[in-house]
Amino acid sequence: MDLIVEAVQEAWRLLRTGDNAIYEITLRTAVITGFSTLVAALIGLPLGLWVALGRFPGQRAFVSLANAGTGMPPVVAGLVVAMLLWRSGPLGALGLIYTPYAIVVAQALIATPIIVAVTAGAVMALPPTLHLQIRAMGAGSTRTLWLVAREARLPILVAVMAGFGSVVSEVGASMMVGGNLSGETRVLTTAAVLEVSQGNFGTALALGFILLAMIVAVAAILTGVQYRARRR
Amino acid sequence: MTAALALRNLRVRRGRRNVLNVTALDVAPGETVAVLGPNGAGKSTLLLAAALLIPASGDIAVFGEPAGRGRGVRLRRMTSTVFQDAGLLDMSARRNIEQALAIHSVPRGERAERARYWLDRLGVSARAEARPHQLSGGEAQRVSIARALAVTPRFLFLDEPFSGLDFATRARMVGEMRALLLETGVAALLATHDHAEAAVLADRVVVLVDGRVAQEGATAEVLRRPATAEVARFLGFSVLDWQAATALGLGREGPAGGGQAVAVPPGAVALLDAGDDESADALDARVVAVEGAAGGVRLALDVAGAALAAEVGLEALHVARWAPGDRVRVRVDPARVVWL
Repeated sequence: MDLIVEAVQEAWRLLRTGDNAIYEITLRTAVITGFSTLVAALIGLPLGLWVALGRFPGQRAFVSLANAGTGMPPVVAGLVVAMLLWRSGPLGALGLIYTPYAIVVAQALIATPIIVAVTAGAVMALPPTLHLQIRAMGAGSTRTLWLVAREARLPILVAVMAGFGSVVSEVGASMMVGGNLSGETRVLTTAAVLEVSQGNFGTALALGFILLAMIVAVAAILTGVQYRARRR
Repeated sequence: MTAALALRNLRVRRGRRNVLNVTALDVAPGETVAVLGPNGAGKSTLLLAAALLIPASGDIAVFGEPAGRGRGVRLRRMTSTVFQDAGLLDMSARRNIEQALAIHSVPRGERAERARYWLDRLGVSARAEARPHQLSGGEAQRVSIARALAVTPRFLFLDEPFSGLDFATRARMVGEMRALLLETGVAALLATHDHAEAAVLADRVVVLVDGRVAQEGATAEVLRRPATAEVARFLGFSVLDWQAATALGLGREGPAGGGQAVAVPPGAVALLDAGDDESADALDARVVAVEGAAGGVRLALDVAGAALAAEVGLEALHVARWAPGDRVRVRVDPARVVWL
């Protein structure tokens, strides 16, 4: 019991006094996960719309693949990216392994299938004649995609949030391709693992609180948007 | 004169099945053509294919401009489509219209005025700021029609636009649509299964059965004189073979006179009052079923083994209520039957 009480007290002290190392890790985490979510959204949203609205051979298999990808273990994504970026790997010449860029690539690989699957599901749930209606108004392909996305904006927001949630909380891929290098690739999750392995439960708990706060903040934004849409 | 819409050898396939096969169909400028047919006949498919909204083979031309690769958007901007589902975007009624005008590159300053005009013209200006879920079915369809007409289309596709509405709203909106078509002079192709709607709106009617044109002609002619048994049945006529028809005293002895069968419109079968029912041409009949019909009741009758239908107005229900098995006396007007 003392261990827990002491850990909570230490965590509170670190948060209250504004420990520089912790805030540096927090900022890095926000930037890396923000970028990886952005990359995943830039790939996943158009892909999800295309999968839902297009007609092409193997469409169902593609949707199944995206659905299966939502459960991709981070360590598998990390392993794939690590092999690609390893010094002797096919993209080794880029020198990205153990850099924040490698983490962004691995996390984008985790979040993209989630965004594709949720976006495609959201668009498929719209009235089937909606995109016909939009095309009948004279809209070209780009405007049709834009207006369809606008109609499914809330579930698409959920898709992006789900993508963010999946990457901010993963540890396996970041550890594998980032190496948890202090001051360079250490993020909240990898730092928490390290602190626990060293018995620094107070620091680990402080990192955990910040991680939870980030997720709660994102969820609060999402809930706010949902309620605002409901009131209209 | 160049046709407003010209369709040639229009075919739509679903898997290995041909669901639409229309050899030729023209709509003249200013003309309204109704595509009538039972559920699954291919009416909507024809409309969507002609509106370049679903893939089809064959030739489509709007005011002489042929459809082809890269021309879809340009041709679609010459036309508008109103669907059964109003299909409004999740924005206010006014913004729905402004969005359509934006797609048609109407200058921003003009959009609000045109949206206001058409909302007012369709009687929904008070609902301009309402979002789709705040509108009734009739209001939403009015906004949809306003959106379609605001872009001043040269051709209008109407895909069963009133079938989701209640009877009174539908009747009112069909009348208003007729006035709008006359006022704007826009050519239109209307898909409907409602004969009355076709009778009010269309100059010509095309009856589609199993994806093929079964009959085409002036509205009154087609609705009064179906050419085939399948068209007759769809239009609500009773179809009898010539022997049964002759036995009922409906003219001609045998098929030598032309047709093999007789189509009897429900209006040709009159239920007789007690005072009239001893006349020489009165026939005994048994009520087989009582069904609903537009504005009245349809009685399915067994007349000496022949299946006939009679329609009676709602006011007749104050006099009598029929049930299966009831005996009635009827008279069939031979002048109104059609030999097929």
